[in-house]
Amino acid sequence: MMSPAAVLKRAAPVLACIGLLAIWQAAALLLKNDSFPTAIEAIRAIPDILGDKEALINILASLRRMAMGFGIAVLFSIPLGLLMGRSRAVAAFFNPLLMVIYPVPKAALMPIIMLWLGVGDITKTLVIFLGVSLPVIYHSFEGAKAVEEKMLWSGAAMGLSSLQRLVRIVLPAALPEILTGCRTGLVLALITMITSEMIARQSGAGNILFNALDMGQYDTVFAMIIIVGAMGICLDAIFERIRARLVRWSEPQFDMPLSFS
Amino acid sequence: MKVVPSRSSEWVRPVTSQKPASAIIEIDRVSQVFQTSARKDHLALSNISLTVDEGAFVSILGPSGCGKSTLLYIVGGFVSPTSGVAKIKGQAITGPGPDRGPVFQEFALFPWKTVLGNVMYGPRQQGVRASEAEAQSRSLIEMVGLKGYENFYPKELSGGMKQRVALARTLAYHPEVLLMDEPFGALDAHTRTRLQNDLLNIWERDRKTVLFVTHSVDEAVFLSDKVVMMSKSPGRIRQVIDIDLPRPRRRNELLLDPRYQKYVVDIERMFDESDEVGASS
Repeated sequence: MMSPAAVLKRAAPVLACIGLLAIWQAAALLLKNDSFPTAIEAIRAIPDILGDKEALINILASLRRMAMGFGIAVLFSIPLGLLMGRSRAVAAFFNPLLMVIYPVPKAALMPIIMLWLGVGDITKTLVIFLGVSLPVIYHSFEGAKAVEEKMLWSGAAMGLSSLQRLVRIVLPAALPEILTGCRTGLVLALITMITSEMIARQSGAGNILFNALDMGQYDTVFAMIIIVGAMGICLDAIFERIRARLVRWSEPQFDMPLSFS
Repeated sequence: MKVVPSRSSEWVRPVTSQKPASAIIEIDRVSQVFQTSARKDHLALSNISLTVDEGAFVSILGPSGCGKSTLLYIVGGFVSPTSGVAKIKGQAITGPGPDRGPVFQEFALFPWKTVLGNVMYGPRQQGVRASEAEAQSRSLIEMVGLKGYENFYPKELSGGMKQRVALARTLAYHPEVLLMDEPFGALDAHTRTRLQNDLLNIWERDRKTVLFVTHSVDEAVFLSDKVVMMSKSPGRIRQVIDIDLPRPRRRNELLLDPRYQKYVVDIERMFDESDEVGASS
């Protein structure tokens, strides 16, 4: 039997969602604007979208691109960030490059990338890749830099080569920081995914949203926003569960969870 | 047993010519210069020569900033000396190796590994079978007094317990020399005393060579066969003192022993004198 406090803690995210929907509902009823459907109307439109085979294919295609972009970015960025964190030469080489790329909105690069690579999967995946890479590189870099020298010395005394130290000491020691970067990266993947589909409107969840907007189907627009938002919340919650499991050894015992998991 | 002090830079005598048969570590005219800023060099160690015999417990004692830890890191192979050479069993030291096991003041445990995982790490790296490494590690953990904590993570342990794990982790891969860098420096007085006693008990069983860096005179005298006194700016060996006290040593007996008290007082007085000389010059 859970204590009332524990029940409240568990129910808090649900209550927050209900509260938000209630405010939306009240605001829509008050404003009575055609382009602002009520929460109930938007929710009613969700089954129509999810029941539509073509819409479903579009959403799945979006998720596939997002997974690809995110996956490649993580596989590329973690080793690069760790190397930068442990080698002054590597850091000195990549730092200026990354400093230039960092503040540029990745979506702003899309027109050029579209020109070169077309409006298909490659372009969108590349934009997602660019969006995810930087926070993951940054956090891997910071994590690797903070690894205690003496820990590496201890490993060296045991006979670990420098590559082994990177993989078996720097990587696990920096993992909490790396996963913080990945979590930011995951949300950025979702954002760049939708943005890329709004610009290169060929398929995907972003395309459904904007097509509905063009046709004045406002309940579908809002339903898509709910769907995309729910996707983000679910992905983040799943990721947070995995993260918490992997770095249980580093977490303070009592911590305020900042997620829906 | 021969520990060679170096007091002047003109003093050049090849250590090898006088090398006793049992010397395990030989430090020959080692100097270390650190660049503190673009134009300024800091001479951390100046012309240090020292030999350590196999099975000896040797402390390097000195004020902070005298380069005593740097000297230990050079023997560990973690730092290369600017000039001179350090040897282990006649071989020049070019890098770290499992024949020299460090124990650091900062513990430097692997936080993602449990106590057992930390202790098993070295043997596993050396290719010892998992079951064998585990059995050895469990008995080491018991020896350092942490039975029952095998599955704890470092964050769940106190400082004293962490240092016990670090000691077990290093002992687990059977280094010939233990390099201890102010290992009890971060601990409270009570824990420190207990760990000194336990280290002595463990050491008196197998008599591994120990090079022990400390700034505590009591600690150095209590534990060591030999105390190497260093002075700072630049770091030099001031004097090497044989501690001729019977073993096994028991703290409660030793603290009452006039010979122990004399060593402590004499060494403290020598440090005080050097401070006065430093102040007047």
